[in-house]
Amino acid sequence: MARKRKYAMIIDTKRCVGCSACVYACKSENNVPEGFCRDWIVQRIEGDYPKLTMLNRSERCQHCENAPCVSNCPTTASHYGGDGTVQIEPDLCTGCKACIAACPYDARYIHPEGYADKCSFCQHRLKQGLKPACVTVCPTKTLHLVDLNSNDGEAEKLMRGREVVQDKVHAGTMPKLFWLM
Amino acid sequence: MNEVLSNKLNPQVLPHLEIWAWEVPIYLFLGGLAGGLLVITGGMLLLQKGGLFGKKSEARDPFTGMIQIGSVLSPVLLGLGMFFLFLDLENKFHVWRFYTAFVWTSPMSWGSWMLIIFFPLATLQALIVNERWLEGFSLVNRIIQPSKKHLNLIAMINVHMGAGIGVYTGILLSTFYARPIWSSSILGFVFLMSGLSSAAALVMLMAPRREKLMFSKMDMYFISLEGFATTLFIIGGITGSENVRDAMYFLISGPYAPWFWVVFVMGGMIVPLMLETLEAIGRIRFTVLVPLLVLTGSLTLRFIIVYAGQAFPTFA
Repeated sequence: MARKRKYAMIIDTKRCVGCSACVYACKSENNVPEGFCRDWIVQRIEGDYPKLTMLNRSERCQHCENAPCVSNCPTTASHYGGDGTVQIEPDLCTGCKACIAACPYDARYIHPEGYADKCSFCQHRLKQGLKPACVTVCPTKTLHLVDLNSNDGEAEKLMRGREVVQDKVHAGTMPKLFWLM
Repeated sequence: MNEVLSNKLNPQVLPHLEIWAWEVPIYLFLGGLAGGLLVITGGMLLLQKGGLFGKKSEARDPFTGMIQIGSVLSPVLLGLGMFFLFLDLENKFHVWRFYTAFVWTSPMSWGSWMLIIFFPLATLQALIVNERWLEGFSLVNRIIQPSKKHLNLIAMINVHMGAGIGVYTGILLSTFYARPIWSSSILGFVFLMSGLSSAAALVMLMAPRREKLMFSKMDMYFISLEGFATTLFIIGGITGSENVRDAMYFLISGPYAPWFWVVFVMGGMIVPLMLETLEAIGRIRFTVLVPLLVLTGSLTLRFIIVYAGQAFPTFA
């Protein structure tokens, strides 16, 4: 039996320059309609001049292992993809918005065609053996899609010696975006 | 300096990213009203002579006008509420998808299936108690006659189903822990009591003068419990974790505070309770102001909870 994948994303904030190429690549790859986004950049500036620090964070759906959007979906439109991702089946979605209310990360929006939409880790590309569009386009190699179940050591190599931050872990969602500080 | 810039779009900037607008609070109000009416009319059927808890071995009392009207209004108002819920759906052609799955962790799934039981039984009660108006319709009579002798059982189920729908309107919101204002399990009890109180108010508004006092006294009881539940809701919030506490302060002292204190607490509970007390001791005559205030307070409660819940930042 084939090994079950568990995709996650490791994001190196030291490399990120906040160029938003990931956002535009995603919009183009997934035909994200105007006025919406599947991923976004948060820029945080702290301190007093001249001692300022800037942090750029590329953010998207956390593909939680214990996803409240999945447990609150009344029609199973939001579901676990079986490869560590959380996916949406537009054909099952009624647009009731329970998943949007349930998401602690505000990762979802309603597509003008009437279904909930969000980052899918470009599942259509993963199936072809490609990386997500944002990962492919990132000019500073900030974004890394990793398989936490694999033995290739990629995730460990990236995280070694670095402070690793996750968002709202206390929500109990077991998120799968890891930011390297 | 601490400056955060984000190109993430949010509903404060773009209203089309709002989760639920006016349709959902109206549904929650009508759902509570319909559930409350079913509890009250079902309860009256069980308590009257010949009812399950009424005097035994006596013929059943004739159904009062309020039992008749209340029983009809319950499924009608719920149907109307469902229409507003339908309006809120972004993909209206997929409404049937609610019935292709049962997800036990999703309150919305429970609610959808509960309605499947609510509607036929509430309608059956409405038909049975209005039998004398329906004599000419043979098809309807074919449903009424065999089910008539089970009226006690139907009323018994309906009382519970009505309470279930009332609680459900609150639980629907309270399982979303991502929205800290909603994330209180007592919200179900607050909405149930508010629904019962507004149902008593609606019946009070329509009842003949000699029956008004009974419903007014019933409402006093419901308002008192609603006040108790609301107090617990507030205490639970301000003694909660930082996130929950800030959310509760946002509700009771933020931009929605005037609506919360003046329209809901004062107008929807304290003033009606005082006027009903004066009515009960015979100091004043019945005034339509009381039921109108209660109904306005109840509708306002749904609006401020739904709106404030979304306006306060997501779970931190």
